[in-house]
Amino acid sequence: MGVATASAVVQSLDVDVELVERHRCGDAQAFDEVYARFAEMVYNLAFRLSGNYEEAADLTQEVFLRVYRHLGSFGGRSSLKTWVFRIAINHCRDRLSRWRPLTTPIGSDMGEGEVAYPDPARGPEDLAVAADEGRRVTAGLACLPQAFREAVVLRDIEGLSYEEIAEVLGVRIGTVRSRIARGREQLRSLLEI
Amino acid sequence: MKRHLSTEQLSSYMDGEIGSSHAEQIEEHLGSCPACRTQLESMERLVLKLHRIERPTLPAALAADVRRRIATAPEPRGLRQRLQLLLSDISLRPAFRTSAAMGLAMLFSVFLLSHGLVGSTHHDAAIAEVEPVVSVQTYFGTPPLVLPPTTSEVAGREFVWSENRWIQRGLEGKVPESHVAAKSPEGRAMLSKYSDLEFLIADGTPVVMRYRLATVELYGS
Repeated sequence: MGVATASAVVQSLDVDVELVERHRCGDAQAFDEVYARFAEMVYNLAFRLSGNYEEAADLTQEVFLRVYRHLGSFGGRSSLKTWVFRIAINHCRDRLSRWRPLTTPIGSDMGEGEVAYPDPARGPEDLAVAADEGRRVTAGLACLPQAFREAVVLRDIEGLSYEEIAEVLGVRIGTVRSRIARGREQLRSLLEI
Repeated sequence: MKRHLSTEQLSSYMDGEIGSSHAEQIEEHLGSCPACRTQLESMERLVLKLHRIERPTLPAALAADVRRRIATAPEPRGLRQRLQLLLSDISLRPAFRTSAAMGLAMLFSVFLLSHGLVGSTHHDAAIAEVEPVVSVQTYFGTPPLVLPPTTSEVAGREFVWSENRWIQRGLEGKVPESHVAAKSPEGRAMLSKYSDLEFLIADGTPVVMRYRLATVELYGS
């Protein structure tokens, strides 16, 4: 880790600790800032793991309810980002283990130009552009075993480092390395890239 | 390096998550192996597709929904409420549900035995005088929790909630001799031996317990 990167990490941790301290002191805006920083990431993660917009919205609400309740006990031993991701992953696992598994086969009964999980916020032109590639990649991700899907999503979509992923998933870096590689390999084979 | 590179080597190399000396060896191999180069390029194309994948738009109303949810489910204030919340979270785990169901069955057996309903003649007279009413209820879904609200049975040990930590029964007031991060090698060894501890530390709450003849504090994130 370079000096500049290390300094950025320390700065980010300082911001995290300050946010938590403000939340402890009853500053309602502190939680709003936490939400603003992480909501999009949590929603995207929940969507990639559940494959359903409504479910992703529900999961995001529940994750932030937990974040709100436990924010005061955040110890600052990790970054707030990995802490929030860890809560999100654990909650998604709990909730989705009681749900149907995601096994949408690539190009199954989806029509031409139709995306696997249509986004109500996007217009028909956007959907048409993203349909071909986005649909296949999304459906491919949905076919991966959960452990591989989590690792690939955290790395290639959310951009976390191996160390951060190990922290979020509570596994060794070697396991992260292996899950990412195997997940990519399976996805590559599914998408015939 | 004569053999082809493994997927794991290529994947880590592409992410820059590999030591510099190892990276040099990989580069040397890639320079002379078209098959591995093709593999790497293929993986790079995949990752590019993943980077470019459209992110779903965060619903604008979600922030208000979260605030509403927080307002309607206020933060638990008392210790009892906090424990109930924690136990309700733990109760979602299938393993815990099984344990809870077994616990209920055991309590019911103890109840039957203590009331002399199973092969006892000792209380026959009393039974004849007062017919006990045994009500059997069938629960569909998660069985109700019957654990005491301030303790938790995990990893075969009883833990007590105290000073924002889970403390193994009998170690109250003791100062931990060492603090172990869950992600450290020793922490992982503890979790691998007592995997249920993950339930207790999942929200960042430290756990104080005896481990290898010492009082150890295990902490999560």
